Amino acid sequence: MTEPGLIAQRVTVWDVPVRLFHWLLVGLIGFSWWSGEQHEMDWHRTSGYAILALLVFRLYWGFAGSGTARFAGFLRGPRAVATYAAGLLRRQDAGVPGHNPLGGWSVLLLLATLFAMVGCGLFAVDVDGLESGPLSDYVSFEAGRTAAEVHGLLFNLLLGLIALHLAAILFHALVLRHNLVGPMVHGRAPLPSGATWQSGRVGWWRVLPGLLLAGGIAYAVSRGFRF
Amino acid sequence: MTRRTTIAAAVTALTGAALLLAGQIHAAPARAPADAIKARQAGYKKMGAAMKQLMDQLKSDAPAKDAMLGAARTLAATSREQVSLFPVGSGPGGAVKTDALANIWTERPAFDAQMTKLVAETGKLATVAAGGDVDAIRAQAKATGAVCGACHRQFRADD
Repeated sequence: MTEPGLIAQRVTVWDVPVRLFHWLLVGLIGFSWWSGEQHEMDWHRTSGYAILALLVFRLYWGFAGSGTARFAGFLRGPRAVATYAAGLLRRQDAGVPGHNPLGGWSVLLLLATLFAMVGCGLFAVDVDGLESGPLSDYVSFEAGRTAAEVHGLLFNLLLGLIALHLAAILFHALVLRHNLVGPMVHGRAPLPSGATWQSGRVGWWRVLPGLLLAGGIAYAVSRGFRF
Repeated sequence: MTRRTTIAAAVTALTGAALLLAGQIHAAPARAPADAIKARQAGYKKMGAAMKQLMDQLKSDAPAKDAMLGAARTLAATSREQVSLFPVGSGPGGAVKTDALANIWTERPAFDAQMTKLVAETGKLATVAAGGDVDAIRAQAKATGAVCGACHRQFRADD
C-alpha cells in the first residue's frame, strides 16, 4: 500500500548534532553496559563522563538547536498527546517530520532516566568500597551503596524504555509505513502533502557554546571538582 | 584415709580439673546461624566503609596518614573476626537472607584459603599503612581489593 499523503519533497528533519548525539549515545550506552559487566571500571567511568557530556549538550541544544531539536517544538500538552494516541489506535499518523507528541515525552523520559543514572553513578561505590564514582568521597559508604543500587534499578527502567522505543520504531515501520531510522541517519524525510514546514535551521556555530558547556561540566565532574 | 585412697582422690580431682579446663579452651560455642549471618554482614559493611575511607584518602591530593592507618587497622581486625562467622547451616535458604553461596561449605578448603589470604593481605595493609608510603599503601590496597573481588566472584551471590 503506498502512503497516500506523501509527495516527493524531502526535508532535512534532524540536524547533524541531534543525529550524532543519538548514535553516539547508542554506542556509549552499550559500552557502559559492557564495561560495567566486565568490571572494567576505568572504561565504565570514562563512558559515563562521555554520556554526561552528550546529555548536557542535548539539554543545551533543546533550547539553542534547530526546530525539531527544541523541546518547545515537540513537548505538547495532554490534549495533543491524547488526540495523537487516539489517532494511532486508528493507525493514523500524518507523518509530519519531527517527534510526535507521544514520542516527544518518551524522549524526555529517556533523557531524564539517563541523567538520573549518570547522577547516581557519580556517587556510587561498590560493595568492597574499592571502585567508586568521582563524587563518592563526598558521601558516606551507605549513601554510595544506595546510589549504586538505584543506578542498577534505573538501568532496568532504561532497558524497558529502550525496548518500548524499538517497539515504537517497528510499529511505525510495519503498521504506519513510516521509516524513522533513515531520517535519524541521513537527516532527510518525506513531507506529507499539505503539511507546512519551517526548516528552523540554525547556524553551525551554535554548537560551540554547547560543546564548551558539555566538555567543561564532564571534565569538572570527572575530577570530582578537585583542581 | 589410706595412702592409696589419698592418691586416687588426688588423681581424680586433678583429672577432673584438667578435663574442665580442656572443656573451657575447646568449647567456643558455635554461633547460631542467624547470629553469624548478621554479625558477618555487619562486619563486611564495616570493611567496605573502611576500604572506601582508605580509597577516598588516596583519591585526594593530601592523603591523611592517620585516617588511612585507622582504616587499614579496621580492615585487618574485622577480617580476622569474619573467619569464624561461617558455621554450617548459615548458608542460603535459611531464615536470614544471605549472599553467601552454598559452595562455601561444599568447597570449604578453597573458601578457608581465601579467608586466610584476606587476613594476610589486610594485615600487610595495616603494616604498610603504618609505614606511611602513599604509593606502597595504594599498591597494597589494590592487592587487598583483588582478594575481596576473587572471593566474592567465587563465593558471593551477584548483585
